[in-house]
Amino acid sequence: MVSPALTAAVGEVGKGFIQERTSETLPCQATDKLFCFDWAKEHIDRYATPTLQHLELVVLSVLIGFAIAFALSLLAHRHAWLRPPLLAGTGILYTIPSIAFFFLLLPITGRGSETAIIALSAYTLQIIYRNTMTGLANVPDSVKDAGRGMGLTERQILWKVELPLATPEIVAGLRIATVSTVAIATLAVFAGGGGLGTQIYGGGNLNFATSIIIAGGIAILMALAFDVILLVGQRLATPWRRAVSG
Amino acid sequence: MPSEELTEGSTTGASSVRYAGATKRYGDSAVAAVDQLTLEVPAGEICVLVGPSGCGKTTAMRMVNRTVEMTEGDILIGEQSVRDRNPAQLRREIGYVIQQIGLFPHRTIGENVAAVPALLGWKKDRTAARTTELLELVGLDPGLGDRYPAQLSGGQQQRVGVARALAADPLVMLMDEPFGAIDPINRERLQNEFLRLQAEIGKTVLFVTHDIDEAIKMGDRIAIMREGGKVAQYATPAELLMAPADEFVEDFVGADRALKRLALMRVADIDLWEAPLAYVGQATAEVRAKLAEPDVEVPYPLLVDSERRPLGWLSERDLAADVVPGRPDSPLGPLLDRDDIMRDALADLLQGEAQFAAVVDADGRIDGVLSVEIISEFLSSPRAKTEEHGAVERPHG
Repeated sequence: MVSPALTAAVGEVGKGFIQERTSETLPCQATDKLFCFDWAKEHIDRYATPTLQHLELVVLSVLIGFAIAFALSLLAHRHAWLRPPLLAGTGILYTIPSIAFFFLLLPITGRGSETAIIALSAYTLQIIYRNTMTGLANVPDSVKDAGRGMGLTERQILWKVELPLATPEIVAGLRIATVSTVAIATLAVFAGGGGLGTQIYGGGNLNFATSIIIAGGIAILMALAFDVILLVGQRLATPWRRAVSG
Repeated sequence: MPSEELTEGSTTGASSVRYAGATKRYGDSAVAAVDQLTLEVPAGEICVLVGPSGCGKTTAMRMVNRTVEMTEGDILIGEQSVRDRNPAQLRREIGYVIQQIGLFPHRTIGENVAAVPALLGWKKDRTAARTTELLELVGLDPGLGDRYPAQLSGGQQQRVGVARALAADPLVMLMDEPFGAIDPINRERLQNEFLRLQAEIGKTVLFVTHDIDEAIKMGDRIAIMREGGKVAQYATPAELLMAPADEFVEDFVGADRALKRLALMRVADIDLWEAPLAYVGQATAEVRAKLAEPDVEVPYPLLVDSERRPLGWLSERDLAADVVPGRPDSPLGPLLDRDDIMRDALADLLQGEAQFAAVVDADGRIDGVLSVEIISEFLSSPRAKTEEHGAVERPHG
C-alpha cells in the first residue's frame, strides 16, 4: 500500500494541481472501517464524471498511441534501418516514470487532459509497436512468396496478407496497452487531467480506503471490459484461428 | 475423374518458354547463379529442372515470373519478353506452386483458389463456378471450399495449391518442388494425379526438383543443371538414361539408370516370347510336339481357356496324361498386363520367384510371355542404347 511518506510527498508536489480538494468531514474515517457502505451509497454519483473522464483519457490515448505506433511499424517494416532507433526511442519513452513525465510536460503543454493524453499515448507506443512488428515478422515467408508469385503487389501483400495475419499479435499489444493505460490514467490527476485518480488521490487523504476502493474497483472493471471487448473483437476478426482449434 | 465436367476454360492456352542467354549474377559475384541459360520448353510440355542444391534451378525458374530478376539475357513466353511486362501482371498469367504451398491461412480454400481471379476482377459467379470446377479437377470435394487451409491435410493443401495456380488458366506453370514436403505415398499419388491432369490441360510446366526419379517420372524433357547455373544436358528422360552427355550426368542419373529406364517402358514395348499354348481337353501328344519344335522360346506349355485366357502352366506330370487336364499342376504365377510399367513387371517377376510371367491384353487374352532374361537381354542390347521407346507416356487416366 501507499506509505505515509509517499502520501506526504505526493501531497506536497501535487499541491496546486490536484483539482478537487474536498474538505468535507469523512464520517467513516473515525470508525476505522475498510469500506463504508453508507458513505458509498450516498456518494456513488460523484464517480460518474471521473469515470467518463477516465474512459475518454484511455480511449483517446490508446487511439492516438495506436495510430502513431502502427504508422511507425509500417515504416519500420519497409525500411529495416529504422527498427533499432524506433525500438530504442519507444523504449525510452516507456521507461520514464509517469509522474515525472507529467511534470516534464507541464511547462510545455500546461495542466489539463491534453498533457495526460500525450504522456499516456507515449506509453502505449512501445507495446503496440513491438507487437505489430512481431506480428508482421511471424507471417510465413512462404505465404508472402506465394502471394508475390501470384501477382499481388507489395501493397496488397501488406494489407491483404501480412496485416490480417498479424492481427492476433496487434490486438494482443492493444490489450496490454489498454489495460495498462487504464491503470496509469489514474495518475492523470497530477497533470490536471481528471479521471478516477481524482477520487483516489483527490481526497488528499489516502487513509480513507472507501473512495480508493470504489475508484480502483471501477478502474479494474473498466480494464476488464476493454480486455474482453478487444478479445471478442479479435476473435471475430480472425475466424480462421477458431476454425483451426475447433 | 470429373474430366467430363471440364469446360473449355480449363484447356485453353499454353505458351512456349524460351530462355535466351538468361543469366543471374548476385552482386559482383564471379560465379553466376544461372549462367547463359538457353533452352526452349515447347508449349504444353513439362520441363523438369533438376540438379544438386545450389545449381541454380530454382533461380532459373523464378526468372520466368521475375520473382528473381535476371541480370542478362532474356526469357520469352510465346513471343513476348518477360522484361517488357509489369511483374505483377505477368505473374497473374503464370501459375505458381511452391514446396511450402503457401496457402493464405486466413482465407478459406475457396478464397485461396479464387485469389488470382479476384486480382483480375472476375465477376462473382464466374469465380464461384471456376472454383468449384478446379476443386473437382484436383480431386477435392468442392464442399471443402468453406474450410480454412489448416483444416486440410498436407496432400489436400497442395491440391489446393495446384488448383489456385490454375485458377486463371495460366499460359505457363512454375512448380518449385511442389511435392517435396509430402510423404512418399501421397507424393506418388499427387504426381500421378498431376500427370493425369496435365494430360487434360496441357500446360507448359517448369518443374523444379532435386530428385532424379521424380524428374524422370514427371518430365517430357529434363534439364540437368550443375553448379554455376549451367545446363549439363537437356534431353528427354529416355535420352538422358541411354546417353548421358558426360560423367556428371551419368553420376547424377545414378548407377541404376538401366533400371530407371524400365520405369519409362511398358511391357508392350518389348518383344515378348511365345509360349506353346495348350487347351483343356487337347491331346497331350500335340502339346509335346509343339514343345519339341526347335525354336521354342518357352519350355513349358501354357494352359489357356477357349478365349485364350491363361489358366496356368502344365508340368511334366500333366503332360504324362493323355489329355490336357482342366486344372494344371503349376499355378499361373504373376499375370501381367501389356500396359504395365516394365519396372513393376520386373518386380512382379522377382517377387513371384517366377521364371516366366504371362502377359495379357486388355481383354485378358494371352499376348506373350515375359521373363527376366528378356529384360536383361534388352538392357544390354545395343538397341536399348540407341532406340527411344516412346514409352514416356503417362499412366493412363
